Amino acid sequence: MASSLLSIPKRIHKTLSNLRTGVVLLILVGAASALGTFILQRPATDPDKFARAYSPATLLWLDRFGFTDIFHAWWFMTLLGLVSLSIILVSIDRFPNAWRFYARPYRKTDSHFRSAIQNKIELPITNAEAGLNAAERALKKSGWPVERIADRSEPSLFSERHRFSVMAVYIVHASLLLIFAGAIIDGVFGFSGFMALQKGQTSNSIQMRTGGTKQLPFSLKCYGAGQENYADGSPKRWWSKLTVVQDGHEVESKEIVVNDPLVHQGLRFYQASFGMTGNLDGVKVVATAESGASREITLAMNEPLDLDANTSVTLAEYIPDFFVRDDQVFKRSDDPVNPAFRLQVKNEATGEDAKLWLFPAYNQSAEGEKTNYNFEYRDMQMGYYTGLEVSHEPGQWLVWSGVLLMGAGLFVAFYLVHMRVWVTAIPDPRGKLVLWVGGQSNKNRDRFEQKFNELVDNIRTELESASVIPHLAKREQAELTLAGVK
Amino acid sequence: MATRARIVRMEEPAETGGNALLVLVGLSVTFLLIVALLGAAKAGASLFSESNLLYVALIFYAAAGALYMGFGVTGMTRYVKFASTATAIGLVANTLAVAHRWYLSGRPPFASIYEMLLSFVWTVALLTLIAEKKFGVKIIGSITMPLAVVCVILMQLLPSEVRPLVPALQSTWLHVHVTLAMLAYAACAVSFALAMMFLIKDNFKTETFLALTSATVSAIYIAILATRFEKWGGLSVTAWDARDKSDMFIGRGMRLFVTVPDLGWLFVISALAAIAPLALYLVSRAQKDGSLYGIANKAVFVSILLQIVVLAAFALRVRDASYPSPDQDGLFPTSLAASPFLLGGLVTGIFASLLYLMLLWRRTDLQGLLPSADTLDRVTYKTICIAFPLLTFMIATGAYWANRTWGSYWSWDPKETWAAITWLVYAGYLHMRITRGWRGRRAAYFAILGFGVVIFTFLGVTYLLPGLHAYA
Repeated sequence: MASSLLSIPKRIHKTLSNLRTGVVLLILVGAASALGTFILQRPATDPDKFARAYSPATLLWLDRFGFTDIFHAWWFMTLLGLVSLSIILVSIDRFPNAWRFYARPYRKTDSHFRSAIQNKIELPITNAEAGLNAAERALKKSGWPVERIADRSEPSLFSERHRFSVMAVYIVHASLLLIFAGAIIDGVFGFSGFMALQKGQTSNSIQMRTGGTKQLPFSLKCYGAGQENYADGSPKRWWSKLTVVQDGHEVESKEIVVNDPLVHQGLRFYQASFGMTGNLDGVKVVATAESGASREITLAMNEPLDLDANTSVTLAEYIPDFFVRDDQVFKRSDDPVNPAFRLQVKNEATGEDAKLWLFPAYNQSAEGEKTNYNFEYRDMQMGYYTGLEVSHEPGQWLVWSGVLLMGAGLFVAFYLVHMRVWVTAIPDPRGKLVLWVGGQSNKNRDRFEQKFNELVDNIRTELESASVIPHLAKREQAELTLAGVK
Repeated sequence: MATRARIVRMEEPAETGGNALLVLVGLSVTFLLIVALLGAAKAGASLFSESNLLYVALIFYAAAGALYMGFGVTGMTRYVKFASTATAIGLVANTLAVAHRWYLSGRPPFASIYEMLLSFVWTVALLTLIAEKKFGVKIIGSITMPLAVVCVILMQLLPSEVRPLVPALQSTWLHVHVTLAMLAYAACAVSFALAMMFLIKDNFKTETFLALTSATVSAIYIAILATRFEKWGGLSVTAWDARDKSDMFIGRGMRLFVTVPDLGWLFVISALAAIAPLALYLVSRAQKDGSLYGIANKAVFVSILLQIVVLAAFALRVRDASYPSPDQDGLFPTSLAASPFLLGGLVTGIFASLLYLMLLWRRTDLQGLLPSADTLDRVTYKTICIAFPLLTFMIATGAYWANRTWGSYWSWDPKETWAAITWLVYAGYLHMRITRGWRGRRAAYFAILGFGVVIFTFLGVTYLLPGLHAYA
C-alpha cells in the first residue's frame, strides 16, 4: 500500500500516532525547556539585566522568536499540544487490542500456543481427571485462583493473576493528560496578583500580575501583621491576622504565615512579604508631670491624648530627616535616619499651647517652650504593610488527581505482574498421557521462572500423593530427562 | 585452566608487593586518623563533633577508593573485601555526623547545599553496600566511592554553619520532598554505576573507554579554560571575603574575579596532555594502527601525573593568597572555598583517569567479579524502576509545596524545569526498553546519559542558573 494513496487526515494520524514522532516531540520539548533555562526569560528578569546580557541586535532576534519567553510562546504551547495529541492517538490506537486482551483472556491452549510458550513442562500421568484435580489442589494451595475450562475432548485449568496490569500504561498516560488539562484550565481561567494591606485596612482589589486591578467579591481586613527575627537578625516568621468580610459580616479569620495560606471561595492568600510604608505609626514617650508622676504614652499623628483634666498633648509634626536653619526645622529627606517630632501641649486652664521638639538623635528630652510636663523619647513605631500573594487556580485539583493516578499507574506498571498458568491433560507426541503445565508473565521473567518452578514442584507432590504418576521404565525416565523434560 | 595458570603466575611476584600496598593503605588511614585526633585534641574541640566525624568518613571513603585502586594494581580480591569494610566504617561515621548535625540543629539536614551533599553521600554509601550484598555487584564501590569522596571534598569547602530555617523552608514538605530527592538521585547514581559495570562486562572495548575518559577529562579542562583563562596565561578565580565567608561581589550578582598569574598555562599543558590519548586513539582508528593505542595508554599515565601537579599547584596557590583583579585596584584574597566546583572538576578528572587505568590493568579480574551482563542489564532496569517513581513524587511534592508557599505549583524555574527534563530522559529510557525492546548497550548509554542530566540538575543548576529554588 503506497502511502501516497492514504488521504491527508490518515497520513497526519499515522505520523502523529507513531512512537518515533512522540520521541522527537519530547526531545524538542526538552531542548526548548533547556533553552528556557539558559536564555534570560522576560517574566522573571529585570529589564536592565537584558541590556547587560545581550546586544540590542541579539535581543531583537531573541524576542522575535519568542526565546525570551519560551514557556508562554505559541510554538511551545503547540509542542505541548502535539505531545498530548500524540499520547491520545497512540492510546486510541493501542487500546482496542489491549482491551480485547484484557476482556477476553486466552483461557484454552492449542498445540501451536503450547509450543510457543517458554516456561512449560510435561508430567506423565495415568488419569486425566485425577491429574487435573491434583493440579487444581496444588494451584489453590499456592494461592492461585483456578478456573475449570469445560471441554469434553480437552479439559483444562486456567489460572491468572493481576490481569489489570496490562492497563497500567493507559492509566499512566491518562494521568499525564489529566495533569495537562489542569494546567490548561489554570492557564486560561486562573490568575494571580498582589495585595498590600496596612494594619486596620480593608481592601477588595488586587494588582494583577498581568497588569491592571481586579475587584474581589469579598474584602480582606488586616488586624495586624509582624515579622519575628532570629538572634542573628534574619527573618524567622512573617505573620498576618486576616479576616474575610462579606456583605458587611466578618465571615472567616485566620492568622497566616509563609507555607500556610488563607483559602476562601477558591482564592488563596499567601504571606509573601512584609515591609515598611515609610509612614509613622506612633511615637512612644514618657510624660513626667511636675509632681514627679510619669507615664508612658504612645502618640499617633494628630490625635490628642489627655495627660490630665486640663492638659492634652498632640503629635503635630513628624520629620524623618531634619535640619535646623535660622531657628526653623526643615526636612532634609524622607529617610527616617534623623527624626524630629513636634509636640503641642494644650492646657485648658491656662490657655497655653506650647510647642516642643523632640530630637532623639541629640537629646532624649523634648526641648522648647516651657510646660508643666516633661517628655522623654522612648521609641518610634513605623507603619508597615503586609504583602499578600493572591492566586486562583481552578485546575489544580485536576493536577493533583493526575499525580495520584500516575502514582497508582506506576505502581501497577512496575509492581503488579500479569501471570498466567495453563494446565491440560493431553497425549504427548508418543501417545502417552501427560499433564501439560505452561506459564507466562508480562515482565520480570526471572522471578516468574522461579515461581513457575515452585508451582511445578507442588503439582508433582500432589500427583505423587494421589498416585497418578505411572511407573516408568528406567530407560524411559532417562530418555525423558535427557530430552530436557524436568 | 589457562585462567588459573595466569592468576598463579601473577600472584607469585606480586604476593609480597600486593600485601605491601594493603599495609600501606592501612598505615595511611591510621596515620590520618591519629593526625586528626591530635589536631582536635590540640584545638580543644570535642572529638565527636560533626566536622571531625565527617573527616573520619572522608578518610574511610577515600581508603575504600584507594583499596579499589589497589585491586586494580594487584588483582587480589581481598582488596575488594577490605574496600567494602572501609565503606561500611565510613558509613557509620557518616551516620554519626548526620545524627550530630540533626541533634544540633533540631531538624534533619536538608536546608543548604552542604546538608544536601551530606545526605546524598550517606545515601550513596548505603546503596553501595546494599548493591554489593543484595545484587552481588561487589565492585560497584569503585565508581560510587570516588563520587562520595568528591562530594565530601566539596563539602569541606562549602559554608557549613547551621543556619536557622528561613520561613519558606519551615514545612514538613521540606522533609518529604528532600528525602524523595535524595533517594531518587542516589538510585540514579547506582544505576549509572551498574550501567558502567554492564559495559565493562559486555566487552565494551577498552580503547573506547580510553577515548571517552580522555574526552571527559578534556571537556573538564576546556570548560575551565574557556571560562577562566586570562590574557598572558593567568587563571581567574573568585575572590573570597573571609569575614562574610562568601564570594566577593562588585555589584548585584556580579562576582569579583582575581587573576592568578601563570596558572592558566599549567592548565593548558594539562589540557593538552588530556587530549593526547583521545587524539592518539582517533589517529589509531583512522590508520588502523594498533601500536598507537599502547602509546595512548602511556599518555594517560602522563596525563594523570600532570593532573595531580595541576591540582597541587591550584590548591597551593589559591589556598590563602592575594592577587590583583582586572576590575578593581588592589590585591584581593582568595580561598579554595571560593572555587568548589573547579576543584571538584579537577578531582573528578583524576578519579576518572585512575578508574580507566584500573580497567586497563585488571579488566579480566573485574569481569570475573561481576555477575553476568544480562543480570547487570536487568538490575540497572530494576534500579531505574525504583528511581523513576521516586523522581515523579519528588517533582509532585515539590510542586505541591511550591503551591503552598509561593502560590504556584509550576513556575518554569530552572530547577523545576531541569527536574522535568531529567524525568523525561528516564521516561525515555523506560519507553525505549519496554516498547522498543532496547536492551544491553543502548539501554546502558541511556542510563549513563540520564545520570549526567541528574548531576546537572542537582549541582549545575544551583551554581550556573540561579532562580527561586536558590536554597539547594
